[in-house]
Amino acid sequence: MVDSSKVPVSGSAGDTGADTGQTERVWRAGGLDPMPIRKLPDAPPAIHLLGPTVFLVALGVGMGESYMWPRLVLVFGPEIRWLFLVGVTLQAVVMLEMARYAMATGESIFTGAARVFKPMMWFFFATAILVYIWPGHLSAGAAAFEEITGIPWVVTACIALVLVGVIFTLAKVIYNLLENVLSFLIGLLVVGTAIVASLVGSWGDLASTITGMFAFGYFPSEAMSSAWFPIVVGSIAFAGPSGMQQMWYTLHLRDSGAGMGAHVPKIRGLRHAAEQEAMPARGFMFDTDDPAEMKKWKGWRRWVTFDALLLFWGITMLVTVSFTVLAQAAARENPNVKSLIEGGDRDAALGAMSDAFAAVGGPVLGGVFFGFIALIGLNATLGLFDSFSRGQADMTYFFVPGAKKFKISHLYAGFLWGVIIFGILILLFGPADGPSGVLDILAFLSTFAMGAYCVVLLLVNNRMLPKPIRPKWWTNAIIGFGAVFYLGMLFYSLARFGVVVS
Amino acid sequence: MDTSRLLRLGELAFPGFVVGLLAGAVAGGLAGLVGQPIGWALVSTLALGIPLGLLGAGYGLLAAFRKVRIGAFAPMALYWLIGFPLARLAHEVLTHLVLAGTPQLPPDPLGFLLYQALISAGFAIGFLWLHERLAPRWWRRVAPRNADAAEVYAAYAAHAKQVYEARQASIQARRRSRERAARR
Repeated sequence: MVDSSKVPVSGSAGDTGADTGQTERVWRAGGLDPMPIRKLPDAPPAIHLLGPTVFLVALGVGMGESYMWPRLVLVFGPEIRWLFLVGVTLQAVVMLEMARYAMATGESIFTGAARVFKPMMWFFFATAILVYIWPGHLSAGAAAFEEITGIPWVVTACIALVLVGVIFTLAKVIYNLLENVLSFLIGLLVVGTAIVASLVGSWGDLASTITGMFAFGYFPSEAMSSAWFPIVVGSIAFAGPSGMQQMWYTLHLRDSGAGMGAHVPKIRGLRHAAEQEAMPARGFMFDTDDPAEMKKWKGWRRWVTFDALLLFWGITMLVTVSFTVLAQAAARENPNVKSLIEGGDRDAALGAMSDAFAAVGGPVLGGVFFGFIALIGLNATLGLFDSFSRGQADMTYFFVPGAKKFKISHLYAGFLWGVIIFGILILLFGPADGPSGVLDILAFLSTFAMGAYCVVLLLVNNRMLPKPIRPKWWTNAIIGFGAVFYLGMLFYSLARFGVVVS
Repeated sequence: MDTSRLLRLGELAFPGFVVGLLAGAVAGGLAGLVGQPIGWALVSTLALGIPLGLLGAGYGLLAAFRKVRIGAFAPMALYWLIGFPLARLAHEVLTHLVLAGTPQLPPDPLGFLLYQALISAGFAIGFLWLHERLAPRWWRRVAPRNADAAEVYAAYAAHAKQVYEARQASIQARRRSRERAARR
């Protein structure tokens, strides 16, 4: 290893095991156990092989892409979409930087944060529980399903919760099962939205949607109002994955065996917990002095860059372009849609859009539209429950004293069934989005977490990794911009309008 | 061409056909769910699903015989740039023919084709995504009786083997380090 930073908390090379006569080379980073040096596996030879970005796409393509941005386009015109381009591009860079740490060490970004300063990790642990235990995210997809089938949405949501739990409990290796299911559903979503857009959209809609993405600097004065500013800023922040979703991506990368994640066992379903291998107490590092290892590292970076650009950026962009085209077509057909969408009643607006499509292409198109909203909801729910349980189990296993008495699959199952049972109780008896008194706090925490993870990324990647694999200055500048943007807009909105970003 | 050769080609083309048909069936299937007449749903499924299915099958054959690089996006996008607008044109004409009794082109055929060509990029990403998931598994299934399928699957398997060996090596390394720790 070449790097030996003088800063005590940051990484340096070293040896251990002198007392046994054997020398094991290690990479010391921060306050946790040093990482033993191991071989970096070969990167996949063909970049077309799909990676765990499928999880980010499943989590990221949600109501923002299918509803919020089409809404902003109808209110402010297609030129507002340049802000979406900025938001998603920023998230693509964040994704690449999250992948840098996870692939180099096989550790999650939470462990990376703990290496720098443990309370930072506990902040994310608490934020995840506060923000993500509320089952409100199920409502849009289940309500769309109710439109198609007539089954009350609470019934669908409760059944979906139990089904998710059973599937993840029976799975031998949860990651493999979920990657296959989500890949199929997302493939269907992409093919389907392209077809629906081809049926109802027009050349003019598509041209204005795409050219609007390059109207850099456009910001209408109406957007600077207390009613719209928090929504516009929130839509930029939540373009693509929002809240802690990017952090969970590091856990999926590890379980997919990307980079040094190949040295860490996968999480198994509860039914197969007996086969769960013991998790190593820390991650691993490869020899960054060895040119052959650095060549393999470059292969992994190419692989993840392809994932970030084509799959994450491309598909997120594609789905939102399709839905914007659909919203424009619906508004043209039925002017009532525009006023409903502007009014902000989501269910009424989605219903009106569906009716408008039914008027153009027969009732079937109305059903297709709701079918896709339900599909988006299902993808997000599957991804969210797995990710939440994975993240909390990871932090509990490594940092709660005594937790190692359990296997990580037991902890995963505990968090999964905990959030499912709580979700069902809340759906039946409580406010699905969380108590109204704390909604603003939850929205604040969600945006704050995004600014905070940018700061964590800068610290972790620049101080915990060996110099040859640290980020370039321009990447740091973009992530720094992200931190200033998320935190700056959050506090600006609070100070200027007294409203939390939504 | 003898029957068995045709059957073998059919097996190679099957996953591409299924993905294309599935895309067309998205509209038809949901029509059934929302209670539309079964005839309507069937027309929508077949008029779009069969052209897309046939084109998908064609792409599967090109990939299986390495006329295009397996899994690469650019040739796939180029293929659907031409294929998707043609399939949509066939869909419009056929739907009019079945439901109204006379075939009819869309109002502005050139503008229609250009718009569909742009949308085809999105369709191509989805098609590639699904085809890459389904085709290798299917080809492996038929490989014992189909030499061409065995050959194209071998290309995928070579990669899988490489990943498997890397994982096995890491498992061995973990086991050795555990044994070392236990001896201490």
